[in-house]
Amino acid sequence: MPRPDPRGRAGAPALSFLLLLLLLAAVPSEAADTVSVDVGAVYASNEGTSVDPALGTIRGKLHSMFNYTSYRMLDRKRRSLSVGEAGEFELPGRRTMRATPLPARGDKVRLSIQISEGSRNLLTTTLGLRRGGMVLVGGPPHQSGVLILIISAE
Amino acid sequence: MDCGTALGKIIAKADGLLPREAKAELAGHLAGCPACAAEDAAISATGPVLRALTGIRAMEKAPALDAMWPRVRAGIEESRETRRRSVWIARRWAWIPVAVALAASALLFYPAGTDRSPFHPSSFDVTVEDVDSDIATVALVDKGEDLPRVIWIIEDAKT
Repeated sequence: MPRPDPRGRAGAPALSFLLLLLLLAAVPSEAADTVSVDVGAVYASNEGTSVDPALGTIRGKLHSMFNYTSYRMLDRKRRSLSVGEAGEFELPGRRTMRATPLPARGDKVRLSIQISEGSRNLLTTTLGLRRGGMVLVGGPPHQSGVLILIISAE
Repeated sequence: MDCGTALGKIIAKADGLLPREAKAELAGHLAGCPACAAEDAAISATGPVLRALTGIRAMEKAPALDAMWPRVRAGIEESRETRRRSVWIARRWAWIPVAVALAASALLFYPAGTDRSPFHPSSFDVTVEDVDSDIATVALVDKGEDLPRVIWIIEDAKT
């Protein structure tokens, strides 16, 4: 019986790894006309001094912009939306946010944002961001502090 | 000692189970009883005869046994080779289920709706085209290019 080719045995895992990489590269590649909208709901208060590590590089920026001592991420959701497709994000305190990508050019993303509290319209705005950009929407009272929404789009 | 008892002791002696004192007692009986002596001689000769017969039979079977051993060895070797081949096949293709499992995990978990990786924005360049609220005052806060722009909602002068 012929002995197994050791090069063939070593090549199989490498081939599988390459196939996996190709698969991974193919799966998340979103079309240019879709926008990935990421919304993080942060509870800012003066209860304690902890800052959620999930806030990443904007922890320091929050400290330098606001006078709160504690920042805790309550929820975070991400949706891939096509231009014209409205995505609804549930927010703490029975609030909802509706985001709709609008037609844009180049690496720009335009988002129509509507934040409601029940039937009341809390905010309606249209934002223009670069892909990977971020904007903060804050102010709605929550418990003994406020809610700050971190909205980013890619 | 009567002849019945002597016969039991003769058999025990042939089996090697008779104590030394009993052997002496039996020898005394055999010296005076020709019938028991003949019985003892016959039974004592049975063992060597059987051993001789077994030896003869073994010699008769030896060529057949010698011919059988190569076949047994060949069978054992073939069985080992089959086992080696199946192990090699299992090792060669073991990566397939692993790759399938990894691909399935990637498909299941990559496009997740919830993203827990920390925020790493690449830009704070934001244009606010319009802003409106039915129930609150809205302020636009801009503290420089290296800080995010903030839309601040002031509800009933609460915040």
